[in-house]
Amino acid sequence: MKLLLKIIIFIIPLIIFSFFYLYLSKDNSYPGADYKKFDLPAFELQSLYDENFISNNLLDGTYLVNVWASWCITCRVEHGFLTELSNNNINIVGLNYKDNRDDAIEWLVKYGNPYEVVIHDLKGSLALDMGVTGAPETFLITDQRVIAHYRGEINNMIWNDVFLPVIKERGLVIDAK
Amino acid sequence: MILDIAHYLSILSTAIFMLTFTLVLILDRSVSHSTLLIKRSYSHAFLLFLISFLLYVYLALTDNFSVSYIAQHSNSLLPNFYKVTSIWSAHEGSMFLWIIFLSLWGFIFNLSTDRDLKVKNLSIGIISIIIVGFQLFLLITSNPFEVVLPFAPENGADINPVLQDPALAIHPPTLYLGYVGFVIPFAYALAFLINKDQSIEWEKKVKSWSVMAWVFLTIGISLGSWWAYYELGWGGYWFWDPVENVALMPWLAATAFLHSLSVASKSNVLRIWTLLLSIIVFSLSLFGAFIVRSGIIDSIHSFANDPQRGMYLLAFIAVILFVSLGLFASRLNMFESSKNIKALSKESFISLNNIFFGVLIFSTMMGITYPLIYELIYDQKISVGAPFYNAIYAPITILATMILVISIDSRWGRAIDTGRSFNMLYISLAMGLIGLSLIRYFVGDMSFIIMISFLMGLIIIFRYLILVIKNILEKKYINTPSVIAHTGLGLLILSISANSILSSEKVFNMKPNEVRKFENIRIEFNDLELLNNSNHDSIKATFALDHNGKSFYLSPEKRKYFARGQITSETAIKIMPIRDIYLTIGEQLEGGQWVVNVQLNYFIRFIWLSAAMMAFSGLLIISNIIRRKS
Repeated sequence: MKLLLKIIIFIIPLIIFSFFYLYLSKDNSYPGADYKKFDLPAFELQSLYDENFISNNLLDGTYLVNVWASWCITCRVEHGFLTELSNNNINIVGLNYKDNRDDAIEWLVKYGNPYEVVIHDLKGSLALDMGVTGAPETFLITDQRVIAHYRGEINNMIWNDVFLPVIKERGLVIDAK
Repeated sequence: MILDIAHYLSILSTAIFMLTFTLVLILDRSVSHSTLLIKRSYSHAFLLFLISFLLYVYLALTDNFSVSYIAQHSNSLLPNFYKVTSIWSAHEGSMFLWIIFLSLWGFIFNLSTDRDLKVKNLSIGIISIIIVGFQLFLLITSNPFEVVLPFAPENGADINPVLQDPALAIHPPTLYLGYVGFVIPFAYALAFLINKDQSIEWEKKVKSWSVMAWVFLTIGISLGSWWAYYELGWGGYWFWDPVENVALMPWLAATAFLHSLSVASKSNVLRIWTLLLSIIVFSLSLFGAFIVRSGIIDSIHSFANDPQRGMYLLAFIAVILFVSLGLFASRLNMFESSKNIKALSKESFISLNNIFFGVLIFSTMMGITYPLIYELIYDQKISVGAPFYNAIYAPITILATMILVISIDSRWGRAIDTGRSFNMLYISLAMGLIGLSLIRYFVGDMSFIIMISFLMGLIIIFRYLILVIKNILEKKYINTPSVIAHTGLGLLILSISANSILSSEKVFNMKPNEVRKFENIRIEFNDLELLNNSNHDSIKATFALDHNGKSFYLSPEKRKYFARGQITSETAIKIMPIRDIYLTIGEQLEGGQWVVNVQLNYFIRFIWLSAAMMAFSGLLIISNIIRRKS
């Protein structure tokens, strides 16, 4: 009886602790993050606000591309954090994805606009080239190359753990305003 | 300058706590002059640490944004009250407070007198080394004293708006006081085991400490539930959020622990079990800190993620747990298992209910860890939610309450007088059945498990009512705290059951000046105004409600906070005795319509009332112990 008690009280916590250990020591605890590097695809798409075309050549330096849409609920959740980033001079390009132009503009009027530029990707062609599967997704781009990508809502935690390490490692300057 | 002083004081205090531990190791613990040295060493370490914290509070009050943590979580526009509470709105500062409370319990314990010098000194040593471990964690991995270089920002980033709330200002401190309070029984139990002197009744000595910690834990959990209800706009009282669960587990363990404390002296088997429980309670409290601070779980409660922190905490908790379990296992032979528990005696019922508590704790632990294990193996996220917990908690609680109602009137070391006691039980069963059929008559059809829950809740209340009346008539002793706490349990079961079947909600799309009807309530959207406040803009909607001829106004809001751009929803609640009318507004739709959510939450106040009854019964126990001593 006492032997059984001894075995049980050690085995149960041991199993629980080893699982937590394995979990913590996993390299990537964010399934939404990937660091595949590829060139920003060439594109020429209209700006959300006017008829002017934006092409990949017009964007340089280091910036984030945030894929969003007015129909996307999670985009609304992460919107506050994007605003915070933008207030801290982080350069964010909005990629409005498969969205009605008027809805998108109204959405930005209602919740505020954290984006430097908003590309209107009505057919989702650029998004397809970049490997977007849905909104929201966020890319970190420097010198026309994608260097980090996150699928899903970004927040302080994701920013600190998925994007900031890459930025620090490369010594990038992101406040390109 | 002040920051540097505060930082150095914390480091110095860590060193002196280490010194206290060393003194306990090397000095002769049974003599009074070494006791005095240990006592003074501990007090000095604590006071230095406290001064360091108070200086930190001063820095926060004076808007010293060169401190990185204060710059990130406070703002000069905040009222002074929230400047202080912003200290525990995120990881570093709340960890600081957590350790302050840990050492505060030790400090008060240190001042108390105890004839068993050896055990007391050992306990102080154990508490000191635990504090040292957490202070190193604070200073190395989560330093609140870090500065912003080279220039301090002009203003801070502001506290998260959902945390700008009085309930939330006191919810974390209360909960922390509860969690860390269990360090006293834990340290005392270990000291008892090291000392190997069976004659010391450690269970009696730690009782009031443990009850006090349990009271804080009970209040802390209820405050959290109350805050989530009115501030987050979720409209419920419990969400089986992983972090709620890590607070519930130590609470369940502590409840089992308190029950066995009173029995432990009656039987060796229960003595062993109580020692083990004291280790489990404290370990589960530490486990809560680990879950919240390692970033393993996404939740409203979790702090920013840092794997290094998680690893440190995991390692430290593992050391504490395995050292204490090792000690426990090596001392098992100290107790002969000759005395067996007599069937149908009070201790047998308490042991039985401890098993139910154990099952609940173990299942909750599985509910928390299973998604992590699943993710580790299949790389997919799943969540274990309310259906799992309801399926476990409902039947086990019902079984436990059955044991409870049978055990009322049971006695120590003797079988219960089944004839006399069961007559009372039959009467309460009959009254419960009558009550249940009345409820069914008014409410209509309900599921079997809800019916049984109602019945058990009613039987508990009636059985205790009969007990009180009978004991008053026969002029016998009434164990008031027990009556209040268990009646609270009955009320809790009743109100949870009633809440789950009666509550309803409906979402309307409404324009100003439109009228809708929900059950017998007429809701008119009166007005919409824009308000500009010092740190946020808000849209305030005013509704005129008419309910059974009584009319009143409710004004839910949507707020946008400047500093973080965060949008929050402020609920408007009309509190009535049996139900709340709970109103929130959502987004604006095309054509000027607004999403309006109306909820009727039944008996929700009674849920917190029953928690308050339990906490109050704890306070009664403590006041009884103090009165008996003096």
